[in-house]
Amino acid sequence: MTRTTLRRWSWVHKWTSVTCTAFLLLICITGLPLVFRDELGVLLDDSLPYASVPPETPNVNLDRIADISRKMYPGETILYIFSDDDEPKILVGMAKSWDEFKQNVQSQHVIKFDAHTAQVLKQSQPNRAEGRSFLDIVLALHRDLFAGLPGELFLAAMALLFVIAIISGVMVYAPFMRKTDFATVRADRSPRLKWLDLHNMLGVVTLAWMLVVGITGILNELAKPLFALWQQTDVVAMLAPMRGQPTPGTGELSSPQAAVDTVKAALPDMVSISLVYPGSPFGSPYHYLIWSKGREPLTSRLFSPALVDARSGKLTAIVRMPWYLRAVEVSRPLHFGDYGGMPLKIIWALLDLVTIAVLGSGLYLWLARPSPSWTSQAAADLASHPTSPGVPGGAA
Amino acid sequence: MSTVRRDLTQIWRWPIVLATLIAVGLVSALLGEGGVWWLLSWVSLCAPLAVIGIAIFRLR
Repeated sequence: MTRTTLRRWSWVHKWTSVTCTAFLLLICITGLPLVFRDELGVLLDDSLPYASVPPETPNVNLDRIADISRKMYPGETILYIFSDDDEPKILVGMAKSWDEFKQNVQSQHVIKFDAHTAQVLKQSQPNRAEGRSFLDIVLALHRDLFAGLPGELFLAAMALLFVIAIISGVMVYAPFMRKTDFATVRADRSPRLKWLDLHNMLGVVTLAWMLVVGITGILNELAKPLFALWQQTDVVAMLAPMRGQPTPGTGELSSPQAAVDTVKAALPDMVSISLVYPGSPFGSPYHYLIWSKGREPLTSRLFSPALVDARSGKLTAIVRMPWYLRAVEVSRPLHFGDYGGMPLKIIWALLDLVTIAVLGSGLYLWLARPSPSWTSQAAADLASHPTSPGVPGGAA
Repeated sequence: MSTVRRDLTQIWRWPIVLATLIAVGLVSALLGEGGVWWLLSWVSLCAPLAVIGIAIFRLR
């Protein structure tokens, strides 16, 4: 690498890092509790406990769940029914109407049922009247800075800068290492040299992990626009033959349980996890949209949507997801670290702490950088001793 | 520390080994369920942490 190329990569490393470091520190710090969000969620949950039932007890019929929900809130619309495969719970989202929900997504409220007994375990209030939970606040800071889609796109840009900073960091790494062995930290000279060695060592050792979590973070932030793109192209094309028909009213709806059973029969290797009612901005005006997932470790990350005619109850289509949404789905576990038990989560948290140290030491190296006069003096010294190592002054 | 200049192979040998271990660790838990796959994942991903631990220990 020529001196000019090296200087350019140093410049890229410095400025991409300086721009994204504050936000990346926030993302890493809020990411720490989010690694354990399942555990913290259970710990902070104030729901009634699940009924203890014999193993293999079947879930209650979804038609019954829908009936109970409507009796609890007469005149309201059911938005979706979600059944978890990890916990015996069924969640029902409701709002006054689809129009109200479209205007304000927060106007929905959720009823949590015991999947075995149909007992109501917890209810949320519309418009987050009960306030944001600790995990909600942490997640908002991590994902969108409370700014919705613009916040997500901004943080995606910051994550992109982080990825460029990692790549440029690799490009400037070798010249520092000509005279020292791998993972050497020279602690006996200046504090700046010690922190430079630490920054280089911590960064290069965890390089691959930081790249993967950075890139999958970008993909996650782009999930909403990519999903919207798919809806407005593929899904709209699929629904074109039915355009103009009115959305079925509550009285016209076929059985939601029968719709799920129809999809189960068509996709025997998959588990259905949610049913979105017709009229949803995230679904079809005329169909139940039923999301199913596989049972294997990898396929359980891949979701397949199916459309069932909400009037006749007939299966209309099993929808194929485009590659870019598949990529978003596979990127999720690789970002969250939630796919290898508690030890993997602990490793994830430790690697996150190392990333914080890399960011912090990088910030220190920039703030404690030698003054320009010192740099030109060093350059003059270097010039007068051609055998000295070619360490660029302000690379970090 | 010596004054011998290291070539690129010497400089990148260990970082490449660690990056490979991280890749193995990330993929094995994704493709395999539980048991030996998870163990492989944990062990591989602990390698970079072990290197950091040794480097910090040598500092003292």
